[in-house]
Amino acid sequence: MGPELLPGLFREEAPEHRAGPAARAPRVLALHFPDFSLQRVRRARGAPGREPAPLAVVDEGRVVACDPLAREQGVCPGDSAVQAEAACAGLALLPLDAAGDRAALEALAEALLQLAPAVELCGPDALLLDASAAGLLAPPRAAAGEGEALLLARATALAAELGYRCRAALASGRGPARALARHGRGGAPVAPEAMGAALASLPLTAFPEIPGDLQARLAGLGIADVGSLGRLPPETLAHRFGLFAGVLLRLSRGEDPSPIVPYQPERLPRESFELEAPVESAEPLLFALKRVADRAAARLAGRSLGATRLEVALRLDPRGERRLPVALARPSAAAGRWMVVLREQIFALRLEAPVAGLALEVVEAVPAPQEQLSLGDRPEELRALEVALSRLAARLGDGALCTAEPLERHRPEAAYRTAAFSGRRRGALPAAGARENPRRRSRTADVAGPASPALAELCRPTRLLPTPLPLVALGEGGRIAAVRCQGRTCRVLSFSPPERLAGEWWSEPFDRDYHRAVVEGLGECWIYRDGADGRLWLHGFFD
Amino acid sequence: MPLHRPAAGPAASPAGSPAAPPGGSGGPAGSRERIEELRERIRHIERRPPRRTAFEASGIEAVDGLLPGGGFPRGALSEIQGEPGSGKTALCLSTMARSMRSDGLAAFVDGRGELYPPAAAALGVDLARFLLVRPPASITAQGIATVLWSAEVLLGSGAFEVVALDLPLLRAVRPEGRAAVPPEVMVRRLVAAAEKGGAVGLWLSAREGEGAGGLRLPAAVRLEVRREPEGPRIRRIFARGAEVGHGA
Repeated sequence: MGPELLPGLFREEAPEHRAGPAARAPRVLALHFPDFSLQRVRRARGAPGREPAPLAVVDEGRVVACDPLAREQGVCPGDSAVQAEAACAGLALLPLDAAGDRAALEALAEALLQLAPAVELCGPDALLLDASAAGLLAPPRAAAGEGEALLLARATALAAELGYRCRAALASGRGPARALARHGRGGAPVAPEAMGAALASLPLTAFPEIPGDLQARLAGLGIADVGSLGRLPPETLAHRFGLFAGVLLRLSRGEDPSPIVPYQPERLPRESFELEAPVESAEPLLFALKRVADRAAARLAGRSLGATRLEVALRLDPRGERRLPVALARPSAAAGRWMVVLREQIFALRLEAPVAGLALEVVEAVPAPQEQLSLGDRPEELRALEVALSRLAARLGDGALCTAEPLERHRPEAAYRTAAFSGRRRGALPAAGARENPRRRSRTADVAGPASPALAELCRPTRLLPTPLPLVALGEGGRIAAVRCQGRTCRVLSFSPPERLAGEWWSEPFDRDYHRAVVEGLGECWIYRDGADGRLWLHGFFD
Repeated sequence: MPLHRPAAGPAASPAGSPAAPPGGSGGPAGSRERIEELRERIRHIERRPPRRTAFEASGIEAVDGLLPGGGFPRGALSEIQGEPGSGKTALCLSTMARSMRSDGLAAFVDGRGELYPPAAAALGVDLARFLLVRPPASITAQGIATVLWSAEVLLGSGAFEVVALDLPLLRAVRPEGRAAVPPEVMVRRLVAAAEKGGAVGLWLSAREGEGAGGLRLPAAVRLEVRREPEGPRIRRIFARGAEVGHGA
């Protein structure tokens, strides 16, 4: 252990540091998850609380964690697997899955990012949250420390919501906060000036920064806790303990200026759930799906992302898998909105075997910061819109929902392009008095028309056929008297002068003479004569 | 000034008595009008749309004159019949454009895939607030069911002022299989969704009874649009609350 490993603790002590112990250290909220491996296993099995059978986690033949039921029967961490099985009949031994624990801790860190600007993974079972800005959580003129107390309460509540029990401590410095979370009593945040007193009762083993041989030397001198260390004359520490004297001095004062190393998630969330027994009906499946959706949504929310595509994988019993891709109309990190779509998909599902487990993966996500509502916005309507769009997008596919944007193109079929529908309300306010009293209108007439100049004066058809229909012109002397369309002969009642549309010589040139024609049986049509071959085509209707 | 104060009756606050609000027009009716006006002004300041009325005008005076409430009823389906090229789509788009004046959203379920958005824009439809739904429709029972389901979702959501539905011809299509939903049920669901969401549902059909696979649609209003040399001519076939119309 040397200065390069402990840069913060070995930093040369500045005069201002001496003046204010622990004052310069960052405020840190530490969360310690006792028996994290066990908690993770229980959470994945979906059985909170006591397991029906005693459970222990073993690593290299030794018990590293065990549940209360196993403890009651004499199993202790450190026992060999054989000893543990001998002590407790029916003990379930699970191998330690360090990678799984790490992934679970990363998932927790992601979710906690919604509470703090930076979260650090600390060892196999602890997280450190940057609490420097916790004061902003408290209302103006609130008592000192209220914001920190709020942050502490919210973090523990969020962890509990995600299925983990933790001990929390909010203090100055990473090391002291972690030591207080792991070995202290937790509770209210510790003020910077009270750090020395709060740490005094902690054993030196709470600080992994102190090497083992030094701890043994200190123990030999009768120094077992931080309080005893603090009572040593500071000027003798360097003489007695050399390079580590600075470390010990800072520890006794509760100082640790080292910054938090932020965790940056690299992958999109994937949450899985093992069902206790294979299920055949939709309700228990939805219950499990809601749990994984909550967890995945919390992780996305921490990263200010919204999912646009999800995939649910259902593991069938005894073998097989069914995957359900889900497209969301709008980016969302709200599990409730995902569930609207997922519920429909699950209810419409026909499976050949019961489901033994499931996983929900966010396949695609985009930045989706929280939207600020403005005065007059109706969030319930926005929510209703989002739910409707998500349901439609999930069933019809992305391309089926769109809006249109006009383009400056002469080719009629290219005069607009589809775009994603946002539904954003903008523009016109209702003009004062724009609405008339509907009761004042006539209730006697049955026939109206010609209805409106606007309807009659449209220069483009309201319907454009995706594929123009060929027409055969019938007439004499250049005058079109009738057209034959799909085997029907229809009389032409009127035929307007042409409107020439041509262009795009650089790619796909076209040259068309468009006519408005009233055709018996077809109504008012939009017909063009192709300049290339002189043939007539029915392209749309002024419907 | 409390906006929710109950309007005082003539006995409690006679016109001209000291209890009457200063500057009022002198009677309970005047006070109510004043309060309504103030409420409307507050909504205007808050950029909120005016409260929904029971009817949505089409914006075409001659057509609104045919309808009992001065427009298409909310929370119900209305059917607009007409041959291709008659002008029924333009009437539908005009109603949508009118509804967007109050900052609302409109949706068009384009079962045929033929709607031409530039024409909608020309009729005053704000394309940014116009949802075009083009299901991958095919003239099969399953395809039709998908189109109807889309309209049901939109009508029931409560997020849209007007939802229009344009379906391919259904006459020959009947659902098959045990799980298939008969058209009668689909149509009833649509009506229920419109009632729930409070939207104006507009069903475009080529001719009478064609809309729902040969079923007669339980529409609150049924109009027929016909192309005549001088322009589209609209006839009221039926409107709830009005006398049955006679021929054009």
